[in-house]
Amino acid sequence: MVELKDVSVTYSSGVDALNHVSLKINDGDFAFVVGSSGAGKSTMIKLLLKEIDATEGTVIVNGYNLSHLRRRKIPELRRTIGIVFQDFRLIPSMTVYENIAFVLRVIDAPKKYIRKRVQYVIGLVGLQLKAKSYPDELSGGEKQRVAIARALVNDPKLIIADEPTGNIDPELSYEIVNLLREINACGTTILMVTHEHEMVRHFGGRIINITDGEIVYDEIIGGEDESEWSQISD
Amino acid sequence: MKASGVKYLIEQGVDNVWKNRMMAFASFCVLLVSLLMVGISSLAYININSIVGGIEQKNEVIVYLDDNITDAEIADFGNALRNMSNVAEVSFYSKEEAYASLKEDMAEYDVLFESLGDDNPLPDAYRIKVADIGEIDSTIQEIRLLDHIFSIRAPYDFVNILVQLRSILTLVMSAIIMAMVIVSMVIISNTTRTSVFARREEIQIMKYVGATDAFIRFPFFVEGMITGFFSGVLALVITWLVYDAVVNALQNQLSLLSIIGTGNIIQFSDIYLPVTLAYVVGGALTGAIGSAISTRKYINV
Repeated sequence: MVELKDVSVTYSSGVDALNHVSLKINDGDFAFVVGSSGAGKSTMIKLLLKEIDATEGTVIVNGYNLSHLRRRKIPELRRTIGIVFQDFRLIPSMTVYENIAFVLRVIDAPKKYIRKRVQYVIGLVGLQLKAKSYPDELSGGEKQRVAIARALVNDPKLIIADEPTGNIDPELSYEIVNLLREINACGTTILMVTHEHEMVRHFGGRIINITDGEIVYDEIIGGEDESEWSQISD
Repeated sequence: MKASGVKYLIEQGVDNVWKNRMMAFASFCVLLVSLLMVGISSLAYININSIVGGIEQKNEVIVYLDDNITDAEIADFGNALRNMSNVAEVSFYSKEEAYASLKEDMAEYDVLFESLGDDNPLPDAYRIKVADIGEIDSTIQEIRLLDHIFSIRAPYDFVNILVQLRSILTLVMSAIIMAMVIVSMVIISNTTRTSVFARREEIQIMKYVGATDAFIRFPFFVEGMITGFFSGVLALVITWLVYDAVVNALQNQLSLLSIIGTGNIIQFSDIYLPVTLAYVVGGALTGAIGSAISTRKYINV
């Protein structure tokens, strides 16, 4: 569960990135966060990962109140969150298998469990034949699948996908979102940040529009619903 | 953390050396040069100090005793000398020994000695070596307080030169070694920082998936330690070869040896253990700590 209560973020440069934002995403939800560049989407992700602190307000993620979370507890929080980046951020010196297994090694999981679980998630994202490949040997879509498998492997309560389709072909983008929706169907909360309005319109669901650091729209719409969509794009 | 976790992190560190071999090689070279600079400067200092110390050892204070002194008083005088804090060695040189030695040295003046008959004009004496030559003045003043002294002969001028020479040498060599240490630290820190910078993204990814700082740093620590260890080993081999070559060259310089004395040049076999430890442990620790510290900047995400 993600909850922002009257949250503001002002950077040291004086820029107000978020302005009295309140938001609640329940367990098992799938929400798109849309907004133009510089609207405050990245700030929100940084906030949820406790990379930065809120200047005002309360941020609660998976039961952790981030205002009171000590630095040494941050790894514990992050282990409940899976993160997928636009630029994949795979470790180039590790194979697909190692990139995914690494997340479980961080939590000191037993070797046998790591092997079983990693093979399972590699199967889920359809990369069984690429387990021993290095990131450089993969296509953009494959890299993003590895990133999703990595985000999924420790069974997190929440997956944050930051523009996961931004660096891949449009036809593969729909595959990636479908994969995320399948994961969501198993109970994982998904928060997907994107600026691809076309895709959001196609899939529908909960749409949160951030503009100039404020939430200007937060509604659930059906897929391909033109009348609802016009309100968002305006 | 379980033993298997520690084993994994050590394996990661070992693997990283190969995976990042270009940067590892750069760190290796920088550490090697740094260790050689500091190591060779230190060995040069130790040897120069030993040579100066050897020259100092050749100096002695001779205390000539009154002619009418009794055997018991001579023994008491010797004990009093031995009880002085700065006196390292005391040996008695009797007037008979001195006379015999003089006769031997001046054999061609036999007539002169014959004219003296049984009369021995030389006094009994104590030869003293002081522990700290810099304190020779106060030691002689302490000796002067004793009775039955005829005269004291001490190499004041030579001592003063040696004391000054040693203090200048200590100052100059300490400055050189300090400069070497500082230069080395700057180079090592920059190299490890560059090496870590190349992998900053990797560190950030690790942070995002919930790795603790210790989990991230440990492989860097192991990696730095391995690189440092091998730099230390190669620095040791190079130092050994260079050192032996220099010692051999010096031993062929007979005129120089007559001044500094063969015994005052330290043989590598006498110091290989501390030198090995200093190089290998110093290299490994510098590499390990340097790498671990350099991760700090990128770990705070």
